[in-house]
Amino acid sequence: MREIHVVQRDNRHLYEKYFDPYFRLRHDIYVKQRKWMALDRPDGREIDQFDTEDAVYLFCLDGGQLIGAMRALPTVQPTLMSDIFPYLSLRGPVHRADVYELSRIFVIPERRGEHAGPRIEMLLLTAIMEYGISIGLTGFSIVLESWWLPRFERCGWRAHPLGLPQMIDGMSVLAVLVDCDETTWKSLCRQIGLTNPTLTWHGLTGLNRQILPDISLLHSLTVQPVR
Amino acid sequence: MKELEPYWGRRALDFVEAIEASKTAANVISQFEKVINELGFHAYIMAGIPMSGQSLAELTIANGWPVEWFELYNRENLHLVDPVPKHCFNSLNPFEWKDVAYDRERDRQAHGVMMRARDFGLCEGFCIPIHYDDGIGAVSIAGERPYLDTQTRGALHLMGVFTHGRMRALSRPGVATSGRRLSGVEAEVLRWAARGKTAWETGQILGISERNVRWHIEEAQRKLMTNNKTATVATAIVNREILI
Repeated sequence: MREIHVVQRDNRHLYEKYFDPYFRLRHDIYVKQRKWMALDRPDGREIDQFDTEDAVYLFCLDGGQLIGAMRALPTVQPTLMSDIFPYLSLRGPVHRADVYELSRIFVIPERRGEHAGPRIEMLLLTAIMEYGISIGLTGFSIVLESWWLPRFERCGWRAHPLGLPQMIDGMSVLAVLVDCDETTWKSLCRQIGLTNPTLTWHGLTGLNRQILPDISLLHSLTVQPVR
Repeated sequence: MKELEPYWGRRALDFVEAIEASKTAANVISQFEKVINELGFHAYIMAGIPMSGQSLAELTIANGWPVEWFELYNRENLHLVDPVPKHCFNSLNPFEWKDVAYDRERDRQAHGVMMRARDFGLCEGFCIPIHYDDGIGAVSIAGERPYLDTQTRGALHLMGVFTHGRMRALSRPGVATSGRRLSGVEAEVLRWAARGKTAWETGQILGISERNVRWHIEEAQRKLMTNNKTATVATAIVNREILI
């Protein structure tokens, strides 16, 4: 059973055991596989200056194993865009209380492109919209590799470019602002057949959350062809 | 990392904003033609990369190639030997045609395509691969002596990707558009019919009865005011209620 958990300052103590594997996975994926050597650390963990107590993580867990994750940072604080890639945004880095910056979006290699049930990538992209709506965000800023753009377009994420793509370490990268709204969330839920919100908010009862729109009837009319 | 003089940066951002607000494919493509013209490009194509058995023509989203070149290319299936679409499989980043390596001596056919393209004024080109999970497309633009530098390459990349995305979005039946009248099941059944499946086969595929499939086709027929299955499928495709 795949669950997506919101992990932040107030409930991090409940997820301590996942953080070591989490940072090691990041090292495997970003340093060993993707060769982002600037992130290399001798201890085999990829932890950067943005992994602060204000960072929010979505952990996708399946049977106690971490199989995917993403990180969201409040843009009123330092972000990748403001501190590392300011030149990617022509109008300057985004600093807004209603926008979080997403980074380190990944699914472990053995669980990519699965055909049983919704794809984990799609599940994460849907879950972060649910998170954004729940806490009253209107957008996400992201510094990403440009080849992601058609995928966003296809799944219904509306991305607005903030500057020109530029080559960084041999890869075209750009900064975008993605709309976070109910329409996008509902359209994603419809595509992957979700009829209920997906997020688990263990130990976050103190958090003030917006009410989500009803999606229970979204999927009743579509039939997926059997593969 | 050096700061880029932002003229083409601003132009590209304004362009993307404008086409996102455009409501028709014709309007989007005319803005695209205009802007690439300014940079010395007079020809473009946006298409899926043909896999075995497919032709370029059936995968073309927007065709701005010289008519004769497009015809020649399709007639002779030049995509089979053209090194540019091949290179899209190996590159996530945009590239210039001249940077595509092929062996001039051993791969005469590849060299032949590049030389024949020149006859139509497609001398220098820039290609933006578009990668999806289940297929690869490209936006390829060319001219005689286009203006390509770090900044214009970035601008063309951005404008190309967004034009391609917008063209696709406009050709897709939107969930929000009220034009769609078929239910999800009806559209699904017609999609299988369009691929040549019988009612029985469609029933097997979707796990519903043959009778049920026929009923959905009847319903679609009633809604589209057609009088047989072929006409219903054809009408649904033309109205973009189904995409195949």
